[in-house]
Amino acid sequence: MRRKAQATGVDMRLGPRPGEIIDRSRGLTFTWDGDTYPAYRGDTITSALAAAGVRVMSRSFKYHRPRGVMTTSYLDPGCLVQVGDEPNVRASHRMVEPGMSARPQNAWPSLRYDVKSANGALAPFLSAGFYYKTFMRPKRLWPAYERVLRGFSPGGAVSPEAAHDYYDKRYAHPDVVVAGGGPAGMAAAVAAAAAGAAVMLVEGEPELGGHLRWGAAPELAALGDLRRAVAATGGIEVLTDSVVTGRYDGNWVAVVQRSAPGVVERLIKARAGVLVAAPGLIERPYVFSGNDIPGVMLSTGARRLINLWAVKPGERAVVLTANSSGDAAVCDLADAGVDVLKIVDARSGEDVVRAKGGRTLRAVECADGTTVECDLLVTAVGWTAPTSLLNMAGDRPVYNERAARFFPGGGHDDVLATGGIAGDGSLEQLIDHGSAVGRAAARRAHEVSATTEIPSLPVEAHPALFKARTHGFVDFSEDVSSKELEEAVAEGYDSIELAKRYTTATMGPAQGKLESVNAVAVVAAATGATIAATGTTVWRPPYSPVTLGALAGRSFEPVRYSPMQPWHEAHGAKPLVAGQWIRPDHYGDPAAEVRSVRSGVGLIDVTPLGKFDLRGPDVPKLLNQLYINKWSKLALGSVRYGVMCAEDGVVLDDGVTGRLGDDHYLMTATSSGAETVWEWIESWLQTEHPEWRVHVARVTSDFASINIAGPRARDLLSLVVDDVALGPEEFPYMRVRSGSIAGIDGSFMWRIGFTGELSYEIHVPASYGLGVWETLLERGADLGVKPFGVEAQRILRLEKGHLIVGQDTDGLTRAYGAGLDWAVKLDKEDFAGKPELGWQEGRDDFLRLVGLRPLEGTAVPAEGSQIVEAGIIVGRITSSRMSPTLGRSICMGFVAPHLAEPGSAISIVAPDGSRVPAVVTPQLAQVDPKGERLHG
Amino acid sequence: MAEPAVIARSPITPAEPPSVVDGWEVSGRRSGAGLTLVDCMPLAKILVRAAPDGAVGRWLGTPFGRAGTNPDGVLVTGSGPDEWTLFGPHGSGRALVGAVEDLSGERELVSALDVTHGRTLMRLTGAAARPLLSKLCAVDLGNAVSPNSAVFRSSVAKVITDVVRDDRSGVPSYLVHCERSYGSYLFGALLDAGAEFGIEVDGYTSTEMRGV
Amino acid sequence: MILIPCPHCGERNVSEFQYVGEALTRPNPDGVDPEQWRSYLYLRSNPAGPTVESWFHRAGCRRYLKVERDTVTNEVTSVTLPGRGGPQP
Repeated sequence: MRRKAQATGVDMRLGPRPGEIIDRSRGLTFTWDGDTYPAYRGDTITSALAAAGVRVMSRSFKYHRPRGVMTTSYLDPGCLVQVGDEPNVRASHRMVEPGMSARPQNAWPSLRYDVKSANGALAPFLSAGFYYKTFMRPKRLWPAYERVLRGFSPGGAVSPEAAHDYYDKRYAHPDVVVAGGGPAGMAAAVAAAAAGAAVMLVEGEPELGGHLRWGAAPELAALGDLRRAVAATGGIEVLTDSVVTGRYDGNWVAVVQRSAPGVVERLIKARAGVLVAAPGLIERPYVFSGNDIPGVMLSTGARRLINLWAVKPGERAVVLTANSSGDAAVCDLADAGVDVLKIVDARSGEDVVRAKGGRTLRAVECADGTTVECDLLVTAVGWTAPTSLLNMAGDRPVYNERAARFFPGGGHDDVLATGGIAGDGSLEQLIDHGSAVGRAAARRAHEVSATTEIPSLPVEAHPALFKARTHGFVDFSEDVSSKELEEAVAEGYDSIELAKRYTTATMGPAQGKLESVNAVAVVAAATGATIAATGTTVWRPPYSPVTLGALAGRSFEPVRYSPMQPWHEAHGAKPLVAGQWIRPDHYGDPAAEVRSVRSGVGLIDVTPLGKFDLRGPDVPKLLNQLYINKWSKLALGSVRYGVMCAEDGVVLDDGVTGRLGDDHYLMTATSSGAETVWEWIESWLQTEHPEWRVHVARVTSDFASINIAGPRARDLLSLVVDDVALGPEEFPYMRVRSGSIAGIDGSFMWRIGFTGELSYEIHVPASYGLGVWETLLERGADLGVKPFGVEAQRILRLEKGHLIVGQDTDGLTRAYGAGLDWAVKLDKEDFAGKPELGWQEGRDDFLRLVGLRPLEGTAVPAEGSQIVEAGIIVGRITSSRMSPTLGRSICMGFVAPHLAEPGSAISIVAPDGSRVPAVVTPQLAQVDPKGERLHG
Repeated sequence: MAEPAVIARSPITPAEPPSVVDGWEVSGRRSGAGLTLVDCMPLAKILVRAAPDGAVGRWLGTPFGRAGTNPDGVLVTGSGPDEWTLFGPHGSGRALVGAVEDLSGERELVSALDVTHGRTLMRLTGAAARPLLSKLCAVDLGNAVSPNSAVFRSSVAKVITDVVRDDRSGVPSYLVHCERSYGSYLFGALLDAGAEFGIEVDGYTSTEMRGV
Repeated sequence: MILIPCPHCGERNVSEFQYVGEALTRPNPDGVDPEQWRSYLYLRSNPAGPTVESWFHRAGCRRYLKVERDTVTNEVTSVTLPGRGGPQP
């Protein structure tokens, strides 16, 4: 099936190649920039476009220059495209799919006529440090600059309508992770697995093989052997189209699996025994005038295009070669029917000067004075060793002048290197080295102390070729030229790290893999230093860009529910997110819920209340240590309110604790403080008093907790309890009783009064919570029982003047300031926070918590509003609500001591700036200050 | 009153069809899938705290990090350095608490707490159980670190969770339990992670503890 | 992510642990002067190098641990049970 692309009328597809990865039996079509193109399964976006004769794939970032294929790999800097909703797709890596819609980026109004390419004409003005120089002054224009720059900023479009996709993550514990599936990596994986190691072999391309894939017959034969060995060796997990993006402490290795079944991407967090870095070598572009014109290509790029996708890269070629890859490209080009017009051999001192052309290459001017008209210039000037993963383990690369590239510094037990980054040599030598490294890795993964000798690879001489005598692009992604780098040095940015940041060279999508060494070479030449002395920039994670989706993965956000949650949901409760708990805020009308509690009886689900089962003879000692008040003589069946302070005297938590048996207590903590309190208890028991005989169990979830509040609370409870006497004398305020509730044994109940009403808090084994809740509502129907939510409870307790730790206190509130003076017992031997509270006793220079009433009963100043006096802040509102019981607004807040006396007039600043006058109330409680309802 | 008509419910909504077993609302679904998740909430769960070298510790027998079945068919798991979690048939909780308390001597502090209603317990069984859990848990689940009868506590889908490897006839199987209030979330997280392996909910039967 | 070798649970990811702070000894609250007490509350040596820290194995054995760690290399040289040292403020 030979099809010319309608849009171009060109067909550059070759006849079958022995190593091609396209499936000619599976043709398909996709669209590019609105036109339909043919492709085969196995084509990348750019290979299919190149087969149709398309040469311009994008416009460059700063100057909007036309760009085409250069590396035909993931790194191809001129081939970032938009695919459907997805921006910044690597078009030389992404496979085409039937119906795919791809568009160029950075081109407006079209790839062909890009108005912003006028930038090219302005190039002298877009000099080194362009951003820093141009958009600094005047400062008032920053918003305008931002708008303009945003219009020119690179990258595709993110669609807010893009569908949510399924990203995944998983953990792995391989003995050996091999990063790179070329010949050395495959050999290392096979040897390590044969030595008994569990191996993860990670390859960025869709298939294993590295450079063997685009090689000649001997390479293809070796490739077949190695692939068969990998398949035949048990214990190797092969991940293709995947990349090791980072190595962190403890050989924690991040792998992004780009195409896994059922998910868009998967992040694998692997704890590797040994990491083997086998990334191969990256071919380095050459710096000369016109080096970015479509038609200028690396030797590996041309060879991949010909051998993997059977695409002819051009018709008439010039080849600049300094190594065997360039020589092989000459053979491949000739074999593909390309007319190789001139071979410029850098090994004998030959060179190119500039490439000429506009949207495509027209001619190449050589150093010998000749100019050759052609549409393809292939360069093979040397290699960059991507030592990133080793650098992440602390390695600093060392420059080798003979080989004209950097090598790993070496000396790691758990990160080893093989393949091209470790040295040169024949294919056989590379495979042998990989095998030796794989065996060593397996040994070291199993015995930490094992240090095995690893043979070294030969290092071959290579000419040092970085830049011709003309200036050209160093960083293609960021449009940084060698001229700009020289200017940066002239302006004083003469270290590579400074020049990098000033010019943004190496900071674009290729992240230094193509341009880093050239940048170093240009800076070295400009400063007169050697490359070795100049050093490299530091490679940091990620090795390769990672999508936010892969990092986020499936999000785990635990939520906690009470056993009554199904009832709340079925009855229209408005959910309140309280930490991880989902609670009913109200069931429609919180004010009505308040009135129903004050006039009859209500139920609230208080299951999230922190609950601790305390057992052992030393529980009283523990309670005395934790709470600021006294606990030595809590009688059996009694309950006491307690306040905890941290060691700095700041209020930490509060709650009640009841004594259920001789050595058995139940403690409650605030819902939000439950976790902190539990760890606080354990820290005292484990570190300060390990001799105390106390067992603490967290039982928050074990019991469904329901507060029954209101004047009819006793009537309601008596309908479901018959083995506990509930009369006011038999079961008075602040007592606890065990018994059965609605027939459920193992329940207990205590009389407390957060709402200020007669109230019982019942705790039933959680599995029966929903049934007991429903039973209470059914049986209490005649009493008019209604559920109430957290909002009603907050109003009720504010009316009663009960503080909420964390709402009416903050990280600076000492017990004395919160009106808890009565609780502090400094005559106890010890308790948390005792020294600070001792020093505070008797002082009166801190804010006091008071009740407040705005004079205007309809004004509800927002919580957090400041209280001011003569322009100075003298307090703040901590809680404020409209009180349904009083029919007016009420508040609680902190005021300066001289304003704490009842009757003091204060002034609150509302968020809109208006003043709300208010008066300090006689006590915190504004409803039933004498507690008659509570004790009823 | 006196009619104890209140039914016991798991925090996990039972998969259709619902059914009642031993006074518990459970799922009556029967699945033949290769990977299943069962809500085992009705099983008795007892938390024991005691010195590892004391009378109770010796009687329980299994060290921290390991599980074993005692002659009464109770699965004893060493869930902490001085802590065990016991799993018994439905309704056996009170007897188990009594048995532990009978053994505790004068000097040693021993506590036995029935946490049947406070822990959500589920069983994950199938060849893909391990790859599923490794999507949610960072602990090495391989045989070298976590062989059959291994017990550990770690984070599973960001919930602090106890995991007991308790293979069934050579098929990998894990008992997974967490604080009850997280149960519905954790059950959902396991099902979501297991979708790619074809996980199905299987119902609970009163024979759940037999043959452990 | 660094590993902390828990004496009970084996090597676990640091994310299972809660960092409490430099290991400190609580002064005797009787007779302590404000300067001593507040240096216990607020002053930390924060060395670049070996340090002794308190960590809580929150998602594992729930034990407070004394961890000797080099803050430069993240190498953990010893992990023991804290014994008597006092809770961290």
